[in-house]
Amino acid sequence: MKCFYTGLFLIFLGGLISIAFSEKLKAKIVSLFSGLGMILVLIPSLNVLFTGNTISKNIYFPEPIGKVNFVIDPLSAFFIPVISVMCFIGTLYAIGYIKPYLNKNKLTSSHFFFLSVLITSMLLVVTVQNSLFFLIVWEMMSLSSFFLVIFENEKKEVISAGINYLITMHISILFIIAGFIILALKSGNLASFKQVFELNNSLANTIFILLFIGFGIKAGFVPFHTWLPKAHPAAPSHVSGIMSGVMIKTGIYGILRILSLMSIPSVEISYFVLIISVISALFGVLYAIAQHDLKRLLAYHSVENIGIIGIGIGIGMLGLTYHNNLMAILGFSGGILHILNHSIFKELLFFGAGAVYNKTHTKNIEKLGGLIKTMPYTAAFFLIGSVAIIGLPPLNGFISEFLIYLGMLHNFEIKSPVILIISILAIASLAFVGTMALLCFTKAFSVVFLGNPRGKEAESVKEEVSPIMLIPMGILALFTFLIGLFPQYALFLVKNPALVLLKTTDFSYETLLPLNIFNTVSLAGLGFIGLVVFIYALRTLLLKNKNVCDYKTWDCGYQAGNNRMQYTASSYASPFLSFLKPFFVKEFDTKKPKGLFPKEAHFELHIHDIFEFYLINPVINANKKFLEQFYWIQSGSTQQYILYGLVFLIIALVGTIF
Amino acid sequence: MLEILLNIIFLLTFPFLFIGIINKTKAFWAGRKGASVFQPFYDFIKLLKKGEVISTTTSFVFALSPSLTFASVVFAGLLVPVFNHRAILSFEGSFILFAYILALGKFFSLIAAMDTGSSFEGMGASREASFSTLVEPAFFIIMASIIALSGNYTFQSLSLILQSSGSFGYLIIILSVFALFIMMLVEGCRVPVDDPNTHLELTMIHEVMVLDNSGPDLAFILYGSGMKMIILASLIANLIIPTGLSFFYSIIAFIGIIFILAIIIGTLESSFARLRMTHVFEFIFTMSSISLIILSLTMISMHKHGG
Repeated sequence: MKCFYTGLFLIFLGGLISIAFSEKLKAKIVSLFSGLGMILVLIPSLNVLFTGNTISKNIYFPEPIGKVNFVIDPLSAFFIPVISVMCFIGTLYAIGYIKPYLNKNKLTSSHFFFLSVLITSMLLVVTVQNSLFFLIVWEMMSLSSFFLVIFENEKKEVISAGINYLITMHISILFIIAGFIILALKSGNLASFKQVFELNNSLANTIFILLFIGFGIKAGFVPFHTWLPKAHPAAPSHVSGIMSGVMIKTGIYGILRILSLMSIPSVEISYFVLIISVISALFGVLYAIAQHDLKRLLAYHSVENIGIIGIGIGIGMLGLTYHNNLMAILGFSGGILHILNHSIFKELLFFGAGAVYNKTHTKNIEKLGGLIKTMPYTAAFFLIGSVAIIGLPPLNGFISEFLIYLGMLHNFEIKSPVILIISILAIASLAFVGTMALLCFTKAFSVVFLGNPRGKEAESVKEEVSPIMLIPMGILALFTFLIGLFPQYALFLVKNPALVLLKTTDFSYETLLPLNIFNTVSLAGLGFIGLVVFIYALRTLLLKNKNVCDYKTWDCGYQAGNNRMQYTASSYASPFLSFLKPFFVKEFDTKKPKGLFPKEAHFELHIHDIFEFYLINPVINANKKFLEQFYWIQSGSTQQYILYGLVFLIIALVGTIF
Repeated sequence: MLEILLNIIFLLTFPFLFIGIINKTKAFWAGRKGASVFQPFYDFIKLLKKGEVISTTTSFVFALSPSLTFASVVFAGLLVPVFNHRAILSFEGSFILFAYILALGKFFSLIAAMDTGSSFEGMGASREASFSTLVEPAFFIIMASIIALSGNYTFQSLSLILQSSGSFGYLIIILSVFALFIMMLVEGCRVPVDDPNTHLELTMIHEVMVLDNSGPDLAFILYGSGMKMIILASLIANLIIPTGLSFFYSIIAFIGIIFILAIIIGTLESSFARLRMTHVFEFIFTMSSISLIILSLTMISMHKHGG
């Protein structure tokens, strides 16, 4: 435990020290310290993760917090490496990404300070087991990430996205506080998590749903996802990578922690979690297809992947409620492994998007194209990330989805018609999500990197980004291969956390889980790569000494083709989107060409999220209308404000007398 | 060992024969003599001997894609049970790897089409991607229902429907055969979804994606799409052939069914016109609806038998 504190302190210290150094060195110092801290926090957490023993320590704080119990159990021990390693890679990437912003009167000091605060507070969130202290570190995490989002604060849309994020996070904490308060009222004290949750009555469902909404807002379940597609594009890429890859997972951690403390969840909430997750996965990817902004697209994919994680958790919960241990372990293992997998490939993709933005200064993919020639490494890494996020073998995304599929297939042993229908529909949804993700990433990758440049932004790119930005991407790409090709070892990472959620320990993981399947999957992955290499070698051999000539793309005899005639992102997605039009709110901005020699013509299409349009916005507008009634209070005259103060003091005085 | 060997020989030789028989059937209905059934094989060899023209717009993606796509189809072939309902590589949930590895091949063929920067190929890629989004969920519903019925988690479950569900089994088999046949037409890009004979028409899907490929790459692509057809045809054959046949008879039955399917496809192509692009979604939806019927039948049957 001492090791963990020291590491935590080092990470925080890095942020503090960096304030004193010149702008150029700040990122390097934060990165160095978070790297050192990472090693120190990894030692105890990996030990716990592999052995399954829990370590804890009490620290006494002044009232009203009191005794705070810091615990590293296998569940925390799974999140600690995810947070520390992914954040360290993020800070490494930040060294290169931040370069163009230096010496431009930017608030880099506060940026890097809050970056280390964010890492520290996330590590605290997953270890502390005291509700009041938990809320404090949770708020620290939200606030520090808010400051990170508004780094480019001279832009209006960044500020508005930041404010939106800040407000959403406070709605989230409101639900969490409400859940904690009910728990505290029922159990009589607000001391520690474990005592608080030790109850099993009809209220448990209500409390779970309250906390699920609170944590779900952070995680980004539909319909609470609306902050994600706003905040991620606004934030600098290393921050989006960390937020999307790591921070939203603390919401999942919250949900898993409640599950680990509750007794067996009821049928209703298990179905609730499964259904809301399926909806999240479907709508997340559906809206991702409609996006032209690369980072917005990736943000919607976070919603999708949170949905997939949730499906795994939901299957695990159903396994618990129906006492089917195999299904439970498959569901939880898949969900938890997908947390790790998503943090890897989502960070990789955000870093790739950041590299593109760094060179082209645009996030609009309609203006890009052909970048694979000038930025081959970024393109290759983005390609690997795309294959991984779709869940295709032999990369890591496939492994966790495969576990979840297997969990769903084992539903059938329960022999209940309801669970059969629900699980087969969930299987079909997951397959649909997979193919939609395929559509989305063939679009994103090919419009950004392949073909010819569609605008001067892409033409102006002359060279690849610096190695310091490529190395983090390379490390992440390596991870996707390692987990994908050797899943039997990756399962050891999720074994103990999944057992924590399973609660019973009267069997061993190895006997329950069909591990030999994963040996076969591993062999299959390696064999497939071998086959590809073999066939490609055959092709090279066949083309040896043959006439291989370069020519332009065949244009069917039409000699005046230009780059603007290529398929764009909108046209690529158009057949599919027109088929699913009821799920979108479309807004056209058209100016038709007029006259014999039309000078101006213009067409713009914006696609809105139906949840935001029909669910969130009406609530906000109604709220606004109500609050407008109180505009007169804020008159702007100082005298009036002094009067308010006086009235308040008098009321306070009278209040204390009675 | 003999089984594995025969399995591989089947996988490698039948794609040519399958396409050859389809073409022969079409020639028969058109009143022509037609090319030999081995013609696709001669074309393959001819293409392998040629050089290539590669667009300057393209990158390594274009060069790698045909080999990778072909490898993915071959690999998917290893997962499918052929004679005697046995696959070379069989494990719990192997149908998921099967579908996903084919999707990997599709991913690369789509981005290779986009790599050329041609508006035609972009159009083909866009349509192919859109249509295949609907096929996969239906396939998963069918496979999951059959697995639920038979209690076997491998592809072998295809042949175990009758044993586990009695009279309902016949219905489920007929519907599954029909649904998988639609899937074969969509994935193999045959009439009424797409016409493999046309080039450069605005209604085409798959053919247009490979406009820029030539030489060995084109050979791999054609070979791969033929192999994909016989893999899906094998799934259908597995549904139809009962278990317990001797090895020899099961080979005969299997090959017979494959040939019959080729003749049916050839006849269909001679008697139907291609659907209008807007109707293709509706055609694929037939498969989704059938899969939902299979799901309901499964539920009823399990309720009756397993309770």
